[in-house]
Amino acid sequence: MKKVLSLLLAALLIVTCFVGCGKETANEIFIGATGPLTGDASSYGNSVNNGAMLAVEEINAAGGLNGINLKFEMKDDKATAGDAATGYDSLMDEGMQISLGSVTSGSCESFAAKSVEDNLFFITPSASAANVIENRPNAFRVCFGDPDQGVLAVDELEKAGYKKIGAIYDSSDDYSSGIYEAFKAAMAEKKITYIEQSFDAENKKDFSTQVEALKDCDAIFLPIYYTEAGLIAKACVAKGCTAVLFGCDGLDGVADQIDATVTNKISYITPFDVNSTDEVPAKFVAAYKAKYNETPDQFAADGYDAIYAIYEAMKAANITDADIEASELCEAVKKAITDASFKLDGATGEMKWDASGACTKVPQIVEVN
Amino acid sequence: MGNLKTKRSSFKLHHHINWIIAAVALVLVVILSFADALGRSDVSLLNRVAYSIILAVSLNLVVGFLGELSLGHAGFMCVGAYIGCYIANYLNSVIDSPVLVLIITMFVGGLVAAFFGFIIGLPALRLKGDYLAIATLAFGEIVRNIFKNLPYFGGAKGLIVNKIFSSTKPTLLIISFIVVLITLVVTQNLIRSKHGRAITAIRDNEIAAKAMGINVTYYKLFVFVFAAFFAGVAGVLYGHQTTPVMYSFFSYNYSIEILVMVVLGGMGNITGSILAATLITYVNFVLQNELTGNLAALKLLIYAIILIVVVLFNNAPVFRPIKEKLNFRRLFGRKHSPERIKDDAAAWDRVPTKIQMDELLSVDVTPTNYEPDKGLKDGGDD
Amino acid sequence: MSTILDGLSLGAIYALIALGYTMVYGIAKMLNFAHGDIIMVGAYAIFVTLASTNLLLALVVSILLCAVTGVVVEKLAYKPLRSASPLAVLITAIGVSYFLQGTAQLIFGSKSQPITLPSLGSIQIGNFQVELRTVITLGVGALLMVGLTLFVKCTRTGRAMLAVSEDKGAAQLMGVNVNRIIMITFAIGSTLAACASFFYLLQIPSVSPTLGAMPGIKAFAAAVIGGIGSIPGAMVGGVLLGLVEKICTSIPVLNPYTTAIEFGLLIVILLVRPIGLLGVRRREKV
Repeated sequence: MKKVLSLLLAALLIVTCFVGCGKETANEIFIGATGPLTGDASSYGNSVNNGAMLAVEEINAAGGLNGINLKFEMKDDKATAGDAATGYDSLMDEGMQISLGSVTSGSCESFAAKSVEDNLFFITPSASAANVIENRPNAFRVCFGDPDQGVLAVDELEKAGYKKIGAIYDSSDDYSSGIYEAFKAAMAEKKITYIEQSFDAENKKDFSTQVEALKDCDAIFLPIYYTEAGLIAKACVAKGCTAVLFGCDGLDGVADQIDATVTNKISYITPFDVNSTDEVPAKFVAAYKAKYNETPDQFAADGYDAIYAIYEAMKAANITDADIEASELCEAVKKAITDASFKLDGATGEMKWDASGACTKVPQIVEVN
Repeated sequence: MGNLKTKRSSFKLHHHINWIIAAVALVLVVILSFADALGRSDVSLLNRVAYSIILAVSLNLVVGFLGELSLGHAGFMCVGAYIGCYIANYLNSVIDSPVLVLIITMFVGGLVAAFFGFIIGLPALRLKGDYLAIATLAFGEIVRNIFKNLPYFGGAKGLIVNKIFSSTKPTLLIISFIVVLITLVVTQNLIRSKHGRAITAIRDNEIAAKAMGINVTYYKLFVFVFAAFFAGVAGVLYGHQTTPVMYSFFSYNYSIEILVMVVLGGMGNITGSILAATLITYVNFVLQNELTGNLAALKLLIYAIILIVVVLFNNAPVFRPIKEKLNFRRLFGRKHSPERIKDDAAAWDRVPTKIQMDELLSVDVTPTNYEPDKGLKDGGDD
Repeated sequence: MSTILDGLSLGAIYALIALGYTMVYGIAKMLNFAHGDIIMVGAYAIFVTLASTNLLLALVVSILLCAVTGVVVEKLAYKPLRSASPLAVLITAIGVSYFLQGTAQLIFGSKSQPITLPSLGSIQIGNFQVELRTVITLGVGALLMVGLTLFVKCTRTGRAMLAVSEDKGAAQLMGVNVNRIIMITFAIGSTLAACASFFYLLQIPSVSPTLGAMPGIKAFAAAVIGGIGSIPGAMVGGVLLGLVEKICTSIPVLNPYTTAIEFGLLIVILLVRPIGLLGVRRREKV
């Protein structure tokens, strides 16, 4: 009984702590999203959040959408499907009308599965797995799809004419294995041989075996994230491997992970070049630096572009009612964004969308050192 | 006639409180959902509460009643979730009724998990205490590792479950609470039966239990299988609520989260498990939005403090005087009545253990802090 | 061959951690679940001090901090539970593990951060290029193993430890200060963890709050495989597990299942020979 009482008291305490959040109605359109603000993937979530917030502020400062302000909120999903689902439910309770989906693929799958029921339009900045937008008319994305990057990488490697190619991928990660599967198929089609190595989340910290196996390669393809890529670069140094390290957009951020001892050339495919001199990216980078005092990465740019894509599409659809229902808004925005004349000149280049939800834009190769 | 009378008067509220709580909750859920008073996040919170209760109650059977620490409960849930939902993906194209699909998959998921419970129960017969804890932890990680790499189950992408329950309708929620109710009734009946008493006897003193003719092998295996079955059922409920089913969810950290519920609620106290599971799930849910970024570490700290403080408070001799002073019955001036002693709840300092037992039995020196009288009477010295 | 060398190198790290586990388990009879997180504390100590001073000082700071953390944890969380059931102690240890992780996360954030340690280079043995860190890790591991064995066998404190491990009550009657001995055990175990954290960082130059969790559990598995409570057993178990892990990683078919195979090995050993490879059978007294 003592325990029961203490439990009840504790519950009461907590309830009282969180009572008092009311719901306000204002002349604004609510854009929701979920992303990892906590945990290993938190840098992606925070970047997208920052980029999106920047875009929302810019738009609101310029008068908003036909006088309607935009409101953006990202719920923490720790890159897990379960938290993305609850995040979605809370956002819907709070009146979400349109969305950026989720930042990571696994969460976005969960988010997307729920959004179909409500016919809620979302354009994910960075969930690149093919299945996220497949057969979902309400789902769009800003980034490249995983398979596209795999195919692109094969083209690049073929162009550079490397003799001996290796690849290391993360078999426990959907992003990594998604790119790798497409890469594998494309390599097989072009009849290029290469050596395959993989690792797994639990053993992802020690790469000596993998690098040892690929020691003699000219180039190593790394469809992985930057933390592991940094460790692989260091393992290369330890093993005396001089291969060129070539990866996809997940490598964005690797520059901070390596030090002067790393002499391997590192480059990756990305739609966003922070040193670009084009007007929109340059303006975005300057504004981002001014606001957050750090250099934006590709995820920030994706978040920024996703908000602008929604904004431009809503403008094209001539949305004037701030209380518009999610489903109605979805139909209008979908029609506008897939229109042949619609294009967005964003921080990650010029983008166009078709009904599949995929985005067409030009990739660039960025070299780290 | 006289017999009948005693029977009637022996209805004790605290024997039935658990399923009564669940039944009231079920009725409330039904009323609220038909009155359309539940928001989406309420529904998803209540769903989480439902499977957490099933998990906590079934783990309590192993930890609180059998006295073996299992750190692989999430592993059983993982098996249930993957297998159940895999089958559901096929069944729902054959069978029209989602409810029927759910019931079938719950059974299949539970049974497969129970089979795994049998497999992990076998080492439990040979291993004791810490070794068993590590073996179950290892089992949980093995299961996760294998499901992650099997392409049939989606590999790293996770198993994408076709949504057969609309998230705007409360069907799944109501079924979940019915399952909770069934779990509680079954558990309660098990504990109050002669089998339940055999299980607690094994916990209290395995060798003595064996000497009394209790089939220790049978009961240990039985508890593991039983708990695994319900963990599997909880896994299926989880899968239908959350797609994709991801291996990463079922790490040993989740097993520990369930353990936190059991410890907070009290070992061998089913009502406690229900309340603690509800409380922790609710706190988690609220904190998800409140604690982001580095503040999320506070959740870990809260768990840590719950574990340490509850265990220290219940076990450390230092706290014994304080504990007696704060005794509920004493505070409210209630007289101690012997029949109110919960015969199934394990007082911490009386849960013996397979390792300590061998010390106790082989050494004649009584441990310094062994005070059987005080421990037993639960503050009844007034 | 190089796979075996890598395995030895990783195994030596597991062995160092397992030594700490085995010391604590052998003497205090408790599974210190938080041992892996002491390694994390050591790693962060090196990470922070290295930013301002040299490596040697960083090592000293790391060892001191670990030893202090170990002793404080023992005093606050484990000592009050001396007479409680192992179940209670284990749950508290899990709590301590969470506590350390949470604190680190609160201070340093949850992201992993790279750390730069001086490269040790490699030497030529026969036809093989052997990394110096592999040699040093193994050497230090072996040295510590011999040192610990001698310490336990030949010094007064060491013999007192043995006595405590045999029978706490009897040791106390014989005039051994049990609490002091257990405290010393924790200090030694945590010092070993600090050493392990240094070699861990040499191999994997990145720190995160959860860095100790998996190696900790695997090292415990190693200690159990070798026979918990046995100092040479920890060494053998650690090296064996390191080799298994690296050999599995180098075979593409087995690679994804490495974790499953390692833990499977643990369960098999527990079933076939619960006392571990080099463990000593204790008769069950009734």
